Amino acid sequence: MHPWLLLLFPLHALASTKRPHGVSLELAARYVPARKGSSEVWECLDGSKTIEWSAVNDDFCDCPDGSDEPGTGACPNSRFYCVNEGHIGAYIPSSRVNDGLCEPECCDGSDEAPGVCENVCKEVGEAYRERVRAEQKLRKTGAKIRSTYIAFAQKEKKRLEQEIAETEQEIATREKEVARLRDLVERTESLSAAALEVRKQSPLYQSLMTHVTALKSLQREYQKHLEREKALGDILDNLRTGYNPNYQDMAVLEAVRGWEHLAGLPHINDVAKGDESTAETGSDEEDGGEEEEEEEQDDGLWSELQLEHQLGELLNTDYEALLLEHDKLVGAPASETSILYNLSAYLPDSIVPQYEALRDQFVSWLEAIGLVKPAATASADTSRLQKTLSDAEHSLDLTRKEKEQKDKELQRLFDPEWYGAEGEWKKLDGNCLSKEVGDYIYEVCLFDEARQKPIKGGTTFSLGHFESWNNAPGVEKGSPEYYRRQRYTRGAKCWNGPQRSVTLDMSCGTENAVLSVAEPEKCEYEFKVTSPALCLPLSAAEEKGYAAAKKEEL
Amino acid sequence: MMWAFSSLLLLAAIPATFAVKAHDFKTCSQAGFCRRGRALSTRAAETPAWKSPYSIDASSLVLGTDQASFTAAVKSSIYPDVNFGLDVRIHDDGVVRVRMDEVGGLRKRYDEAASWALLEEPKVSQSIHWTIAKDSVRAKYGPKNDIEVVVAFEPLKVTLSRNGKEQVVLNGRGLLHMEHYRTKESVAQSKQGIPVPEEGLDTDDSQVVLQQAHPRAAWFEGETEDGWWEETFNSFTDNKPRGPESLSLDIDFPNHGHVYGIPQHATRLSLPTTTGEGAYYSDPYRLYNADVFEYLADSTMSLYGSIPFMQAHSADTTVGIFNAIGSETWIDVGRPTPKSTTTHWISETGILDVFIFPGPTPADVFAQYTRLTGTPALPAHWALGYHQCRWNYISSDDVRSVQQRFDEEDIPVDVFWLDIEYAEDHKYFMWDHKSFPDPVSMIKDVEAIERKMVVIVDPHLKRTDDYPVYKEATELDVLVKQKDGQNDYEGWCWSGSSAWVDFFNPKSWDWWKGLFKVNGPSHGWHWTESTENTYIWNDMNEPSIFNGPEISMPRENIHYGGWEHRDLHNINGMLFHNLTSQAVMERTNPPKRPFVLTRSFYAGSQRFGAMWTGDNLGTWEHMAVGVKMVLANNIGGFSFAGSDVGGFFGNPEPEMLVRWYGVGAFAPFFRAHAHIDTKRREPYLLDEPYKSIIRDILRLRYSMLPVWYTAFREASVTGLPVLRPHYVAVPHDEGGFAIDDQYFIGSSGLLVKPVTRKSVTEETVYLPEDQANEVYYDYFSHQAYRGAAKGKNITVPAELHQIPLLIRGGSIIPTRERPRRSSPLMKRDPFTLRIALDKDGSARGELYLDDGETYAHQEGNFIWREFAAEKPTKKSKGVRISNKNLAAQKLAEAVDHVALTTYDSGNDFAKSIAGVRVEKIVVLGLPAKPTSISANGKELQWTYTPGVAASEKKEGTASVLIIKDPKLSIAGDWDIVVQV
Repeated sequence: MHPWLLLLFPLHALASTKRPHGVSLELAARYVPARKGSSEVWECLDGSKTIEWSAVNDDFCDCPDGSDEPGTGACPNSRFYCVNEGHIGAYIPSSRVNDGLCEPECCDGSDEAPGVCENVCKEVGEAYRERVRAEQKLRKTGAKIRSTYIAFAQKEKKRLEQEIAETEQEIATREKEVARLRDLVERTESLSAAALEVRKQSPLYQSLMTHVTALKSLQREYQKHLEREKALGDILDNLRTGYNPNYQDMAVLEAVRGWEHLAGLPHINDVAKGDESTAETGSDEEDGGEEEEEEEQDDGLWSELQLEHQLGELLNTDYEALLLEHDKLVGAPASETSILYNLSAYLPDSIVPQYEALRDQFVSWLEAIGLVKPAATASADTSRLQKTLSDAEHSLDLTRKEKEQKDKELQRLFDPEWYGAEGEWKKLDGNCLSKEVGDYIYEVCLFDEARQKPIKGGTTFSLGHFESWNNAPGVEKGSPEYYRRQRYTRGAKCWNGPQRSVTLDMSCGTENAVLSVAEPEKCEYEFKVTSPALCLPLSAAEEKGYAAAKKEEL
Repeated sequence: MMWAFSSLLLLAAIPATFAVKAHDFKTCSQAGFCRRGRALSTRAAETPAWKSPYSIDASSLVLGTDQASFTAAVKSSIYPDVNFGLDVRIHDDGVVRVRMDEVGGLRKRYDEAASWALLEEPKVSQSIHWTIAKDSVRAKYGPKNDIEVVVAFEPLKVTLSRNGKEQVVLNGRGLLHMEHYRTKESVAQSKQGIPVPEEGLDTDDSQVVLQQAHPRAAWFEGETEDGWWEETFNSFTDNKPRGPESLSLDIDFPNHGHVYGIPQHATRLSLPTTTGEGAYYSDPYRLYNADVFEYLADSTMSLYGSIPFMQAHSADTTVGIFNAIGSETWIDVGRPTPKSTTTHWISETGILDVFIFPGPTPADVFAQYTRLTGTPALPAHWALGYHQCRWNYISSDDVRSVQQRFDEEDIPVDVFWLDIEYAEDHKYFMWDHKSFPDPVSMIKDVEAIERKMVVIVDPHLKRTDDYPVYKEATELDVLVKQKDGQNDYEGWCWSGSSAWVDFFNPKSWDWWKGLFKVNGPSHGWHWTESTENTYIWNDMNEPSIFNGPEISMPRENIHYGGWEHRDLHNINGMLFHNLTSQAVMERTNPPKRPFVLTRSFYAGSQRFGAMWTGDNLGTWEHMAVGVKMVLANNIGGFSFAGSDVGGFFGNPEPEMLVRWYGVGAFAPFFRAHAHIDTKRREPYLLDEPYKSIIRDILRLRYSMLPVWYTAFREASVTGLPVLRPHYVAVPHDEGGFAIDDQYFIGSSGLLVKPVTRKSVTEETVYLPEDQANEVYYDYFSHQAYRGAAKGKNITVPAELHQIPLLIRGGSIIPTRERPRRSSPLMKRDPFTLRIALDKDGSARGELYLDDGETYAHQEGNFIWREFAAEKPTKKSKGVRISNKNLAAQKLAEAVDHVALTTYDSGNDFAKSIAGVRVEKIVVLGLPAKPTSISANGKELQWTYTPGVAASEKKEGTASVLIIKDPKLSIAGDWDIVVQV
């Protein structure tokens, strides 16, 4: 077909009269016979073959591309155009032409033999327009809310920028303070360092340090074991509550029973026994378990609780200060005050306190006249200074982190991969939506984490952490399609499967809500979510149509 | 769909390592009676003068009034006080039935297996008669009087010969042994009376002394009471209250080198040996219906169903035997020479009840076997379409969305399936309304596209009073009992603590059928939340019981009539299927053809619906063995078979999935299914080109539905299988006897070899021995290949989008080539005829059609057409194509179960398709361009592409004539004359 032909045949003429059955208006111009001698011929749309014009729509497929049968089902993979007057014209695949069914897509029934389907385009069209109106109304309402989100993002921007500026100032102040303190500490340290080094040679101190190291190592290992035990406990708890007794695997059953015994838990899902006996057995075992735990503590040994809470404290002791304190008590042989201090050892217990008071008085005199160096005091000062410095450094660090955090927030605010180019999602950051389904509450905190919380008690599982918007191939970042999906991945691992993950299937709605939760594949969840953030304002054309429809409605 | 032991896999944490839990299931050495049977066989082989202790007391022989049956007393020299009775009959079709039972024993042996398997009591011949001789009783018969059956008196031996050649021999090796009933006490007493030979005593072990067998019987029964009174397997103790009662029998085929059948095993079609030198397997084939988790792809282990029917084949004759036994049975297969086969059948309980099918062709054996146990039911037409299943579609909306996705992609499908998760707490029938709030409306949405739903109903009933089905079963007292025979048995299955209906109890039958009524009987619970187009899937009916021995029911459980479960275990699944099938059929009046899929089956199950090969794995090995298993089921009389497309376990890669659709499209039952832990894999989810290839494969299947349906008609009347391996299609061609990876579809002339290997671009196809160098055409490319006198391998293209599919010269294939969303929507569509001319320039084919869902065809509402292409005269190069009324010609054999006497070509169905025409005729292999083509004197339009002619010896693309729209009715008589 050549373009000039289009000029010869005005479109409307073709459309209204000669267009073969099943041909759309846009293709009408191509369904025109050509003369060849005395007969009318026609070229398949792909140009592969020329056939008699009478073979078009003769219910036999002649063209390899199926184009000769637009109005019958003779050619696979071709399309039939339903005019659908009163509604919107639509294509249906040839597989639905003359199949005896009345498709909603082809409301005029033109795809079936006359009399098979009624023309319901008036009703279908009305219903369709009604639906469009409703959708548009929803979008309009939603878009209003959305615009408040955008405004919120703008405010956030200002807030963040201001806070960042403030934080920058604070950082500068804190940096100065740290520099001042560091200088002070360095000077103090160099004064007392030498003396301290000598005292540290004490075998007692050395041994103490070795003990400290050993104890720290022990604490670390103990902690590891505790964590490991907890992790194992968690795994077994999950196994116990989550295993499927239907599978009747003895290995699993033994593991569960073993764990119940060890942890003093009641039996669940007991196959062999009735419910009553199960409960009994369970409580018996629990009692037994408690008894065992009430072991008597060996003379003065620490309890588990003490180990947990007091060991750290103990290890946080300032050993250098302790060393000096110790010197104070026993006196270093090299120290001038040693004899005086040691004297107490030779005195009867009853007079020691008096003696010590006297001695301290005496030493202070000695110090005052410069005979004895106030070593201990100097060192204590150093460590106090040190602490002030590290506190200051810590504060500086925190402030810097705070700034980094705010920088990031600001950066993400209008990042299409985060809160959208207009920042419309910022408002919902951390907003938690939940839905109760069956025995669980499913919850997603946007941009954070999705969870499954059992209502009747048990472990809450993480279903995943925010990973990205729709990252399916072919979806453009920032496009409306992009924001229709959110992925939460790396959730708790399934017993027999992948780590749990969630896909949010999102659409425009006036509320932020989870409509439904499904698990189409094991441990892969799908939440249907609505949010005003997805309600794009109507385009100018849509707006016009809407207004017109509104008017019509009235 | 189901699997019992997921947790093992979970703990193993290496999902790739699939493994059967072999130790959950017995080997022969772990089953006392199998051990005894094999030991008997070993003793016989090691003893040169071995002689069966069983003999007929000639004086007791009594001929029946019909002269074709006789009874006689049988004695055993090792137990002279025990009496046996023999009953041998020859049926009017020449089948020989040999029955033997203990007479006047302590108890009655189970003798009801045949009554469940058989359609009806077979008729004894009125014309054949036994002749009594001194040492034997004989009968000669057959159309050529070439069959002779000899029952020798001492020792007892039954031989069927043809033309003097032994075909089937019972007890030829003296392995017949029917362990008579005894009590522990009587055994001990009888031993006291008889001095025990010194050398037989092992004085160190008093246990052995105690367990010593009857001394007179020891040479035969063995030295010890091995597993007579009790045995333990995997902590399950079987108390065997009835003591030893096994049955051993050797059945030999001295002149047949191949045996087939005895499904279900994951093995080759021609059964490899299990005994003798160089035996391929070490364990006998086992028949004990079991839910085997992740079964092996090459093993004699028993699987979900058992059909104790075996065929033996040679280039000369085919024979068969059916051993009607319901208890666990082991079968050793030996091949002493390449041309002879021995088998040894060892069963736990039951009488001897063996049917011998004299053949002499495979078709005869199928006819003889299915006359007894029934032909495959003619399925509803839609059931031959594509079935989409998954464990599980999780909600009504999920189902609707799956349907929508199929339609968006224009991929045909007929049936959507729901696995166990639709049911609240696995209480079957009871919808989980949280996920399926509107089941009826969901089903109606599926039915709107003329599709169907299949919903699972398993046999385990959750033991809870809020489950009306369980409650009613309890009230009716129709549940299987524990060994005490009083209390209901309780086991563990999907539904937790469960009970099982005893379908052997006739009281359960009407009640069960009532449950399926949509509108219901006036009393009792019934399934109002279903429709008359809701069909059923019976799974777990071995029965599968998670905490039972070998994942099944304790053998001591008691069924109706006081029989132990062990007696009827292999029949149990069939009864559930049978009753469900009746229930579905009787839901409407007039009845509609039921569709019920079963996992467990027995001889006779073919009458009740379809089966599938259970929980296969998504591996190439399983894909390949699935083809063989489906063939074996076809050989076992159960044609409506398939395996899960895609593999139940695992996530097949796209290539494998495409090939699996190629396998499924050429299986009688075509269903995709997947385990709950797998990724979704519905065809629309695949990327291109895979999606389009699968769409094309599905459309190919749908286009060929007329071929499948026509093949099913033939199967339903003649018993000939829908899938025909080479030995069935070409019985004389030795080159094809072991072939089980390619096969013919019915009598259509289509030969297919589904690709079951990875990365294949071409395949080898075997063309059977053919003196005439017959031509075979590639279905798609029209490439002509030539057969050879010796049989020949050809190489055909097999890229991923290609399926090796040939049409044998001389065939006419009717197809419907317009893609539709579901098969019922094709009913107005025109036909295409593909005429593949043979060497002589002729061809023929058939088409059978009816309404596809009722029984109106049995009242004559159908069409059965014969298409023929013949040379108008001997020297003519042209061809006359005709459409003839085959129904009128062969009325008596037109439809299943009735011999019609009148046929009205204007019957209701024929009228309903009067407007359905032939839109296209493709003629392959014409020798030259036609000069004119006309029908009723009217010139037709056509195109011709020159190419190789059928009559030539050349290979290459065949000539193709396409006749455009002759506008002739598919149901009318007409001729087209092609002048060349």
